Amino acid sequence: MESARIERLLDAYFEGNTTLAEEATLRDYFTQGEVAAHLESYAPMFQGFVKAKEEVLVKEVSFPESGFKIKGWWYSIAATFLVAVTVGSIVFSNSGLTDEEQEALAAIKETKEAMMLLSSNLNKGTENVALLNEFTKGTESIKHINQFTETKNKILK
Amino acid sequence: MPFKDKLYRLAKRLLVSSDEAEDAVQEIYLKLWNGRDRIGNYKNPEAFAMTMTKNYCLDRLKSKQAGNMKIVHSNFQNSDNIERQVEANDGVSLVFQIMETLPEQQRMILQLRDVEQYEFAEIAEMLESNETAIRVALSRARKVIREEMIKKYNYGIS
Repeated sequence: MESARIERLLDAYFEGNTTLAEEATLRDYFTQGEVAAHLESYAPMFQGFVKAKEEVLVKEVSFPESGFKIKGWWYSIAATFLVAVTVGSIVFSNSGLTDEEQEALAAIKETKEAMMLLSSNLNKGTENVALLNEFTKGTESIKHINQFTETKNKILK
Repeated sequence: MPFKDKLYRLAKRLLVSSDEAEDAVQEIYLKLWNGRDRIGNYKNPEAFAMTMTKNYCLDRLKSKQAGNMKIVHSNFQNSDNIERQVEANDGVSLVFQIMETLPEQQRMILQLRDVEQYEFAEIAEMLESNETAIRVALSRARKVIREEMIKKYNYGIS
């Protein structure tokens, strides 16, 4: 049964008319299962193809030196920089200051904030003082009224 | 590179010697490396690399033929060859031996189709040929192997 199908595939195979799937069927038939006696002579061919595909390149292929060397250098520089920054930030941010010093820093910060609050309030005060100028302007306007009174008096005479 | 083994096998199919095939792959890598800015322009880098391998190996074979016969002679005597003769008792090695006698074009097509299982369109692209020509050459190569196998088997039996 099966061998009839294989024979048909073989005919097409030798004419170059098989698809990859059909060729896979042939390969499987001749390398895995029982092969019919009259087809045995074809087996080495397909076994050979399978075996040929197992061959791999053992030797390591190397790329041109310069190209990779530069890249390697850059990686090491970047890595060193990263380590330096990390270590530096740990050393300088925490263990460099004692608890007392850190408390002092906090105190300075609070004082600063208090001063800022004070000065902003003070600024508000001066703004109010500036309003007094408006009052002066008002009194100047009153002077004009005086002039008007003078003129009026003259006319009435 | 994911297809280095395929390049190697094609090179070895053509050049026979594994040392020379290794050199060929190294050479192709170098060329690909130098042209790595341009490789993005090729829609199928694998086929491109295969074509490069084919051209490189054919050039090597040509210069070897034009050069001295001594290489051929010393090749004949190396241990690799003796080993192969010992192995030749089994049918699989016989297939490899027959493949070596095929013309280069047929050898490459057989390698790319029956070993690497590429589509005809891909093989046509790699070998800078057309599908019909590939099919014809493939059929011829397969039939030669069949006939040679039958011949050797009959000879061995009688």
